[in-house]
Amino acid sequence: MNGSAGPGEQVRALVGLHLALERRTGEALLVVAPFGAVALLLLPMAVGTDIPLLRQVGPGFYWLVVLLFGVMLTVRHTAEDGPGAQALLAQCGVDPVARAVARVVADAVLLLAFQLVLAPVAVALYDPRIPGWPWLFAVLPLVAIGLAALGALAGAVSSGAPGRALLGPLLVLPLAVPLLLGATQVIEAARYARAPWPWLLLMGLAELLALLATLLTAPSLEETE
Amino acid sequence: MTRTDRFLVPAAGVLVLAGLAAALAAPPDRLQGNLQRLMYVHVPAAWLAYLSFGLTLAASVAWLRRRHERWDRLAASAAEVGVFFTALTIALGAIWGKPVWGVWWTWDPRLVSTAVLLFVYLGYLALRRATVDPVQRARRSAVFGIVASVQIPVVHLSVLWWRSLHQPPTVLRPGDPTIDHVMLAALLLNVVAFTAVFAVALRLRMRLARQDAELAAATTALGRPLAGSAVTVPALTAAAVTAPAVKKTIGDRT
Amino acid sequence: MPELCAPTGRASGPEGGPVATLESVHATIAGTPVLRGVDLRLHAGEVVGLLGPNGSGKSTLLKVLAGMLRPVGGTCRVLGVDVGADGATGRAGRARVRTSITLIGHQPALYPQLELGENLRLVARLTGRDEAHAESALEAVGLAAARHRRADRCSHGMLRRADLARALLTEPQLLLLDEAHAGLDRDSVHLVQVLTDQVRARSGACVLVSHERDQLGPLVDRAVELVDGAPVPVAVVTT
Repeated sequence: MNGSAGPGEQVRALVGLHLALERRTGEALLVVAPFGAVALLLLPMAVGTDIPLLRQVGPGFYWLVVLLFGVMLTVRHTAEDGPGAQALLAQCGVDPVARAVARVVADAVLLLAFQLVLAPVAVALYDPRIPGWPWLFAVLPLVAIGLAALGALAGAVSSGAPGRALLGPLLVLPLAVPLLLGATQVIEAARYARAPWPWLLLMGLAELLALLATLLTAPSLEETE
Repeated sequence: MTRTDRFLVPAAGVLVLAGLAAALAAPPDRLQGNLQRLMYVHVPAAWLAYLSFGLTLAASVAWLRRRHERWDRLAASAAEVGVFFTALTIALGAIWGKPVWGVWWTWDPRLVSTAVLLFVYLGYLALRRATVDPVQRARRSAVFGIVASVQIPVVHLSVLWWRSLHQPPTVLRPGDPTIDHVMLAALLLNVVAFTAVFAVALRLRMRLARQDAELAAATTALGRPLAGSAVTVPALTAAAVTAPAVKKTIGDRT
Repeated sequence: MPELCAPTGRASGPEGGPVATLESVHATIAGTPVLRGVDLRLHAGEVVGLLGPNGSGKSTLLKVLAGMLRPVGGTCRVLGVDVGADGATGRAGRARVRTSITLIGHQPALYPQLELGENLRLVARLTGRDEAHAESALEAVGLAAARHRRADRCSHGMLRRADLARALLTEPQLLLLDEAHAGLDRDSVHLVQVLTDQVRARSGACVLVSHERDQLGPLVDRAVELVDGAPVPVAVVTT
């Protein structure tokens, strides 16, 4: 009876918890996603509603919105950050790495859903030509996981700081440059019939570093000393 | 099922069937052919979006004056149904626009203002979800529900204010409607039919909202009288059973 | 004192040995020394009262015992684990020992957005207990009817009792109760008694913190008072 559940069981329990709370509050898909869609709608009003121009810059707008609003989604103040939840997790002997993994997995799922909601909006609004669209099946999950890992890292570092919602994006965005470059260039490469592997490799590498950084620093960020 | 429901549900069914038949029997458009038949859904959906948000406005004002929960439930239900019909209007518009204009979307004042309308009321629903306390929620969303309604006339008049691709009002305009009178009759029939469906959906949603509130109130009430009335120890494990005080029932206060 | 019946497989100290041993333990909060050389021994089956004025370090001592705060000096063994060790070993030890300890603090350890039942089931899953026990634990503290109520819609007293239900569910070897009487009505104080009896029966130990010496009396075997960050024994009426 004694002793805690295995880390795998803890991760499953926490991922389920994150997603259940999202179902209850709809923060990611019913608040942040519409906000992102409004941004997609407003951007053309700033640069001019010229259809050929929008067709050209549309994918760029999409990735920018995904990045900016995705960061907002990952560093949002979640239920887990409250003092009661912190006490519960600490007392249940939850492994800090299990906690970080659960956060990354849940946020990656939400980010992927967020991207999938915004994609048809961008297509309808900008009518872009995407010759290499099948590559999106690789790019979308990569961006989701990468952003989730960076967000979890920034969230852990700035946890409890008063200006966290403002501080988080500043911490994450500069580190997300490889993801933005990779995402836009994979499609660009496909347009000129070049293999997009180098860009996918860049994204994969950035991803790996972000994940490693998040998981390796998780135990040290636990505040018992 | 109330008496109103027994009358309303079959009536809505019959009206929808009649509307569908009329839409198919009406003459095709001279230029757009059969595509134009989408109008028989697109226009009623847009009308219901206006109607819903108008109801939200009226109910919000009523709540602020009377503070009766029913008005809050009406405002919320109407907004939810309205968001559905706005989204339907936009989706049907896009499907209609692709073959006629060649694009799913165009930067037309009517379209853009309708999309903004959708997002404003999505915000309204998000505000409701984010507020836990029922009275606080009612107060805040009533105020926002009134502010949000500013967008409704903007959408309707946008085609007049900015000359645009979307056709100007053909029915709700001063003077004689600029539409074939058979088409107009079919359209009006569909508007009536959809309004009946809307009424059914709204009543259902309001009933659901009332049951939701009752459930929440019941859960809250349940916890209270029982607080501290009895304390027993569960037999969780063998170890617990060996405890000297396995069952302690403490004076029932109720 | 009830007889010792240590079930097998528990992370308790050596048979019949102390549950926790603290020798000249020093601890700081945000750099300020709070505990200055605490010597304390908690024996199996013992309920100890901890008294002291505000700011005397009672809560800090509980945190050290719970493995939530690493002491900066002295030795501190809890349930056979050196909770003062630093580095990865220390962290792992503290994490392991925490699952056999329940600390009921000022802050109820509950997710405010979750219902009481969901909170208890989450605790059960995270600590590897049977989820079905979550319901019976809530029932035992008289909160069965409120299990579908979100924690942020509960009164403070209900939250305290839900927290006590957590202790029923996790069956700790070491139960630490901060402000044992705060926010609890007369009946709930009996619940504390039931809980401490259970811990005793599995030859664990309890520490109850209170301001009120008289209230602690009937619940504890002995009491110590923290004076200037170090404990001195005090007399309480234990009937």
